[in-house]
Amino acid sequence: MNRLLIDVGSTYFKVSTPECIEQHFRDFNKDILDDLKYKCQKTIECYKKNDVYICSSANGGLSTLIIGLTNSFSLKYAKNIAFNSGINIIESVMYQNLLDYSIPSDLIDVVIIVGGINSNRDIFKDDLYEYLEKLNYSNIVFVGCENEAQKLEKNIQNLVILPNIIDEKLHIIEENLKVYLTNLYQQDIEGKEDIKNLYEITANQIYSTPYIVNKTLPFIHTKFGVVDPFILIDIGGATTDIHYSKDLVDDNIVTENEYDRLVFKKLGVYKSKESLIFAAQSNEFVYELLAHLKVTENIFSDESQKGTKVLMQLAIFLVLTKMSYYKQSYINLKLLSINSIVFTGGITKVLSANEIEDIISFFYKKILNSQHNPMTVLDGNYDIWTIGAGGEENVN
Amino acid sequence: MKVVTGVVGNDIHVVANRLIELSLNARGFEVFNLGVNTYLEEFFDAVVETGAEVLLISSLNGEAEGWSREIKLLKSSYKGLDNLVMMIGGNLVVGSADAEEIVPKYKNYGFDLVFHQVDLNTGLDTLEEYLKQRGMR
Repeated sequence: MNRLLIDVGSTYFKVSTPECIEQHFRDFNKDILDDLKYKCQKTIECYKKNDVYICSSANGGLSTLIIGLTNSFSLKYAKNIAFNSGINIIESVMYQNLLDYSIPSDLIDVVIIVGGINSNRDIFKDDLYEYLEKLNYSNIVFVGCENEAQKLEKNIQNLVILPNIIDEKLHIIEENLKVYLTNLYQQDIEGKEDIKNLYEITANQIYSTPYIVNKTLPFIHTKFGVVDPFILIDIGGATTDIHYSKDLVDDNIVTENEYDRLVFKKLGVYKSKESLIFAAQSNEFVYELLAHLKVTENIFSDESQKGTKVLMQLAIFLVLTKMSYYKQSYINLKLLSINSIVFTGGITKVLSANEIEDIISFFYKKILNSQHNPMTVLDGNYDIWTIGAGGEENVN
Repeated sequence: MKVVTGVVGNDIHVVANRLIELSLNARGFEVFNLGVNTYLEEFFDAVVETGAEVLLISSLNGEAEGWSREIKLLKSSYKGLDNLVMMIGGNLVVGSADAEEIVPKYKNYGFDLVFHQVDLNTGLDTLEEYLKQRGMR
């Protein structure tokens, strides 16, 4: 198939033709399209708009706060759907303990309210509206009990009401919220003036890169020697994305998707470097890890290649920790069951396989108290996104 | 009237669980069956999500006892469950023991109705009578 695939990252862009993949460091003084044309004009000219497919993770995902009635159902289901839509969850709040939570100061892209089967009633009271008034958010959606919808709509401005994600058998219905969140994510990407301009060279929809990578996963074996079950970690300039098979999650949620993903919006090594350092400094094992790497805390202000390497290694450790039973705030993966960890993104340009394996081994020993040693697979040529990038025909 | 039911802990007596669901349905209850291997928190969460008035936990061979000790504490962490009717039935002890000994123990754990080695219909008749007395049915 003669298609041009373009991935616009926060640090690099990659241009893939059937012959090769070009990678270019972005010039931040230029509009993305101008930069792209300047560096790849001849390549782009060879393709019609219909044959150009673009994805981007340059905007780093949406931040979400979820207010749910219980942990076992509404919060768990909404979190699962949000994760699967590439959303970054900054807080999940149990409605009945609303007053115990501190108010996030960041702007929240979307607030999700959920709870109750449709025949339940009188669930949400004034305390919900008072809490919402203190939040700073752009979008708000209700996906809970039908009997509550009208009341909430009267009291909450610009509330979007979608069908309940909890059915009358207490099972999850994910599609409506997933489509809404995926579209919001999409609008967020396209809302960037830079990204909109890219429609000058493509007639196809521009998708988020995590969405495209998730489409790739069932076909990853066509290009890589990956042993199931596996996880894929994409450490980029602005975000770190994790893609995983649902076999690795204990949560008993039956959905149609074989793979889910998480986007850690503030865990990248260039654009969100400061928040990565903050997360590292808040982790009690990081100083042991720095000692293991034979560096000191001064490395955080080191702008050299060595400093970037250590940041990348910290990012691997932090993201694995966030997925482990050691930290309960995110989905816990059965990390002792995985056989491969696939790495893609800028990390493959900075770290060698040995340096990555060293961190993984440190993580398993220190956090999971295990000698387990999953195989490391590096996507050094940014091939992974290309499998899912070219539309349906490419993956079928 | 809504009833949340299921089998607590690592107990897997799925047949009895299904029979309880069928019997409750036949008596006109709206049943939310959480099945086997259910944690206590899931029971209470299901009550909150559904607005159920009755929680009926079943258990075999004493599996419930280890879990039931935490019921009062856990229930107190939820708001609005004060009027929930709590019922437990099955074989509620490891080995053998008299109902006279077991029933007060489980009532002390926080159950309103306790049925140790009592047949299902007798237990459900008693539940219905209890609900009538409380003006709930």
